[in-house]
Amino acid sequence: MTNSKKKKKYVAQNQKSAYLFILPSMIVLSVFVFIPLIASFVISITDMNIFMKDVSFVGFKNFTRLFSDNRVSNATFNSLYFTLLEVPLQVGLALLLTVCLAKNNRYCKMLRSVYYLPFVCSMTAIGIVWSMLLDPNMGLVAYWLKQAGFETAAFLKDPEFAMPTVIAVTAWKGFGYTLTLLAAAVLNIPQSLYEAAQMDGAGSFQKFIHITIPGIWATISFCIVTTTIGAMQMFDQAYVMTQGGPLNKTETVVQYIYDRGFQTAPYDLGYASAISVYLFVIVAVMTFVLRRFVLKGGEDADA
Amino acid sequence: MRKKWVSALLSAAMCITLLAGCGGNTNQTASGDTADTKQEEQVSADTQADGSDAAGTASGEKITLQFWNVFTGSDGDILREIVDNYNKTNTDNIEIQMDIMPNDQLQQKLPAAIATGTAPDFVLFGVENIAPYVSNDSLEDISDFWDVTGVDKSNILENVLELSHVDGKLYGAPMQYNVSYLYWNKDLFRDAGLDPEKAPATMEELAEYAVKLTNPEKNQFGLALPTSVTYMQFLWANGGDADDPDTNTNLLDSEENVKTLEWLQDLTVNKKVSPNNITGPEADTMLQAGQIGMYMSGPWQINGLRAQGIDFGIAPCVAGSAGAFSPAGGCSYVIPKGTEESHKLAAYKFMQYWLTDDILKEWSQRNGFPVWSKTLMEDPEIQGDEVLSAISKATEIGRSYNLGYSLASQIDNDVMIPLFEKVMSGAAAPQDALKEASEAMDRVLAQ
Repeated sequence: MTNSKKKKKYVAQNQKSAYLFILPSMIVLSVFVFIPLIASFVISITDMNIFMKDVSFVGFKNFTRLFSDNRVSNATFNSLYFTLLEVPLQVGLALLLTVCLAKNNRYCKMLRSVYYLPFVCSMTAIGIVWSMLLDPNMGLVAYWLKQAGFETAAFLKDPEFAMPTVIAVTAWKGFGYTLTLLAAAVLNIPQSLYEAAQMDGAGSFQKFIHITIPGIWATISFCIVTTTIGAMQMFDQAYVMTQGGPLNKTETVVQYIYDRGFQTAPYDLGYASAISVYLFVIVAVMTFVLRRFVLKGGEDADA
Repeated sequence: MRKKWVSALLSAAMCITLLAGCGGNTNQTASGDTADTKQEEQVSADTQADGSDAAGTASGEKITLQFWNVFTGSDGDILREIVDNYNKTNTDNIEIQMDIMPNDQLQQKLPAAIATGTAPDFVLFGVENIAPYVSNDSLEDISDFWDVTGVDKSNILENVLELSHVDGKLYGAPMQYNVSYLYWNKDLFRDAGLDPEKAPATMEELAEYAVKLTNPEKNQFGLALPTSVTYMQFLWANGGDADDPDTNTNLLDSEENVKTLEWLQDLTVNKKVSPNNITGPEADTMLQAGQIGMYMSGPWQINGLRAQGIDFGIAPCVAGSAGAFSPAGGCSYVIPKGTEESHKLAAYKFMQYWLTDDILKEWSQRNGFPVWSKTLMEDPEIQGDEVLSAISKATEIGRSYNLGYSLASQIDNDVMIPLFEKVMSGAAAPQDALKEASEAMDRVLAQ
């Protein structure tokens, strides 16, 4: 009797200190994630602007407006376009290089660090440098192309090429990080599996398909999910390199939110929040679907 | 032993200098915070003294004013010099602490600062911002400025003063006024066999010269037409317009506008006189690099062109069938709502100082901005200045485009800029682009 009482008390105390340990991150998360999230839900059903005067509830007016606004559909299309091309490019490129670089010799380590370098730079700096290099009138790339006798492409200034260019720059910046994660996972696969396969007469392609991919599937799906979420929230690269232009071809949802909230009077925070909620729903659904199918796919591959 | 002493002394000295360095730095970088608390103390002192003297001069207490502006260019250095000089020489014990930030950033911070009572004491920004702020009741009415300071209102040109008024009330003290000019590169004119002293006067001439000046071999363009700006001067020149802010009427869908836009599309798409899809800053750089024959822009180009040694001329914007016009703009000092009375009066003093002919003259001469003080316009030194007299002539055709209209920025961003971008890139036929823009305009005006 006394013994069990003592035990109970012990557990309770233990829990108390556990809460104390997660308190700092809970505070940070609530201040920067949960409270703003709830706030933007509330703001989205008001007509609040940046001056925050005479705020009143307008119900779902902002949402009905959102669905008839063709810049929202354009931005949604651009975000999806960006995500559908950028994520496979970044993860695929990293996966391809992992095959060559997942060895612990000096050469591979050096290359992995080199590919990681762009990731530590800020997107703003990278964006500025690339838009200078790719400028069709003053840029170095245009100059080289001209010297080599090619017709200069306008890259970021061309409505058709702007988005692919932004995608390429983003993938270039991010693939080093994905590569590092994948390489670490590959190095964790027991060598004995490969040896066994070798004995059974498997070629290197078969080994890759049947051992490497299933072995690192958890990491791959993690990379796909995080890269997708990041891609749907793409803002800085387009903001720095194209400002959403030309002809709004690179304007993403986040950029349109920023434009409505902070760039165009009457700085309609209510409407901007409504678009944020809309984006939140899209990202939540995508994450849910991805987790379900990508993780399930991993289980299948395991079996 | 002795060596130890010396090294100990030296390290102690180093520590102290380090600390001193830190101290100095924190004072400077954290001026926002420390100044705020200082300010609060002063406010209470000032309000007590307020009763005895309206201008707050007799109190002898130091007044620190927070001042935000958007002068990030080379003109900001000159403004800082003038403000520093004011801080040193003024006899009212006023100290102005100036904070320069890009316009984007100011537009994000200021409304929130006003709403939470942490706004600066006065702000300097483009006059196009005054109307939206006033419609949200965020600026102080300063109609009593002339009576309090004794500045002669009649000495300032009427159209300049008009820009700081909303519904007949004064909300800003004019700081500078400008319109768009036509810049041309005289060297490129010579190379193309054109008279380097004669700028194009009509739209036909502008197109003709632009074609002659364009040379893709040398990466040289006749006329830079950046996107993300509006070209009201062309629409107006043929008798067209965008909207009437007084009656909320949409004036876009007209024969005149179709004609102008067809002319513009022909220039950019068929004749390729402008680099594709460039931004304003990129066009500025290319102009300074001597790759651009002609360019329409404000007076802020002058210092950059001088620094790069470009031989340039300044002319009024070209005329069409209905005459020549140029969109006007300017900057004004405004006082955010909720500024303490004593601080407001101190800010008046600085505005008064700015409106003296000496300062206005220095600003115009060093920056190439037109003068708008009547006494200054008769100043022989101003009249003898070649650039300033060219500018004064080009300024006469200034016309207000939606200034003082609270929907102005939305009309620009949602209607006019996309319209010009579509037409100039050839993404849509002028007629279709105009129809689409006209529908967008209806939606904006319906609000």
